[in-house]
Amino acid sequence: MAAGARRKSLTWTFLLLVPSVLLISFLLVAPYCYMVPMSFFKPGQIAGYEKVFTLANYAKALGDRYYLRILGLTVVYSVVATLACLVLGYPVAYYLARTRTRWKALLMIGILSPLLVGVVIRCYGWMVLLADSGLINSVLARLGLGPYRLMYNPFGVMLGLVHINLPFMVLSLTGSIQTIDPAFEQAARSLGASPALTFLRVTLPMSLPGVYSGTLLVFLQVVSAYAIPVLLGGFQVMMTPILVVQQVMDIFNWPFGAALAMVLFAVSGAFVFLYTRVMNRLMRGLA
Amino acid sequence: MKTRRRQGSAALGVVVGLIYVFLLLPIVIVVLAAFNAGEYLTFPPQGFSLRWFQKFFESEPFIRSFGFSLKLALTATVISTVVGTMASFYVVRHSRKARDFLRVFHAAPMMLPGMLTGTALLIFFYTIGLGGTYSGLLLGHVLVTMPYVFLAVSTALYNFDRSLEEAARSLGAGPVTTFLRITLPLVKGGIISGAMFSFITSFDQFPISLLLSGVGMTTLPIQVFDYLRFEFDPTAAAVGTVSIAMTALVIFVTERFVGLESIYWGGK
Repeated sequence: MAAGARRKSLTWTFLLLVPSVLLISFLLVAPYCYMVPMSFFKPGQIAGYEKVFTLANYAKALGDRYYLRILGLTVVYSVVATLACLVLGYPVAYYLARTRTRWKALLMIGILSPLLVGVVIRCYGWMVLLADSGLINSVLARLGLGPYRLMYNPFGVMLGLVHINLPFMVLSLTGSIQTIDPAFEQAARSLGASPALTFLRVTLPMSLPGVYSGTLLVFLQVVSAYAIPVLLGGFQVMMTPILVVQQVMDIFNWPFGAALAMVLFAVSGAFVFLYTRVMNRLMRGLA
Repeated sequence: MKTRRRQGSAALGVVVGLIYVFLLLPIVIVVLAAFNAGEYLTFPPQGFSLRWFQKFFESEPFIRSFGFSLKLALTATVISTVVGTMASFYVVRHSRKARDFLRVFHAAPMMLPGMLTGTALLIFFYTIGLGGTYSGLLLGHVLVTMPYVFLAVSTALYNFDRSLEEAARSLGAGPVTTFLRITLPLVKGGIISGAMFSFITSFDQFPISLLLSGVGMTTLPIQVFDYLRFEFDPTAAAVGTVSIAMTALVIFVTERFVGLESIYWGGK
């Protein structure tokens, strides 16, 4: 009887999972899988595609110098923006993890609040600051300097990418640094290590799990960013996601758009794979 | 040695302060630009004015897209709150071997880049006949907002003391009463904060909306984006300020109900 009741409750509880599993299978798994055959179809003259097998889309995505160059730049921008987030995020995360101030909740809200403002609005804030007749240039003009070109170039795009993704980096690093017992650092210091050496040999290695998850998260966001490069790059700075959206939405060349997306997916996947192997080696011995 | 240490921590404080300025500056600038009288925010500012708010409220496309975004975000949030809560109850309480897989599976829509998910959905929806429809757009929003509810409710459930339910049952309460009087009030915080994140994510959603919206379905972020590509006046700042105020209100109300502490430290 008890076993029967248990069995019955098992069958019923399973129903709780049905809507979400259906939703994700239908809206995530199926569409991503469907991109694979789509990228091998022939671009159609009238409709989006013809069901004829071809490798031409990949030949174009990987053979054409224009697309290759933009792919290369996308990866370079993503790596640089990720490293910039790491360098800027680490001091903040360290401070937040170690501070005993009663303003800590407020400081956390300061990190979180940019995440709650839409990406377009935040880009607009940067546009107001960076435009040729914007705030920074108007201040510089008073000092007899400029005007400088601060956006519609890689600099503006990088600034936006770092700004949008910095909170993610800080959050993952803070979580990781908090788990390090300060006694380790104190022990290193009392044994005569300088603050720099303590950081390099104790704090940084022990916070590598946070470094790993933060950089991974930011890299994946940056490599697929669309709104920031469009708004702050003004189509002067091209990144592969812009090309994908152009192909799919403006030119209606779905197979080529899908192939470009697959290449981006594969390149960032390979990158993540290599990075994970390196980091796993470095993190060996950490719990 | 003590002074050097103090200098070190003072330097850290300055660096951290500057990074906070960098983080918050564009948001402050948006609000300032909205209340500034001039076409451009220059230094010094040209004086206080509400003309950009007036232009926003008189602009039919902006008001229509604001209403559309609200409706879309509310509908998506209701659906994803129900679906996400159900899933987290199963995963936390009843799953065994598959638990790790199920957690990743339910968080995946949040992890995968929105631009790629949007592209995949666009092609898929047009193939099956949902392309450019409101249902397609709504489903896309439900997909990307559901993980927030799932994770928030899962966290609340992990911290849940199940002996409270057993006590209620042993005192003669039925399963429904126990659920409504014990379980639901205790995980309410997780549900509300998940719903809040879900609403904000949907309201500010950019790539999914851009790729999936059909004719006459312009959400507010898309409207602002289109506007900024051709014009540059502070009406966008007024829109931004209103959205920021609305987000702040949502968070304030949530904080009054459940406290924010539970949200940002997740399961820790």
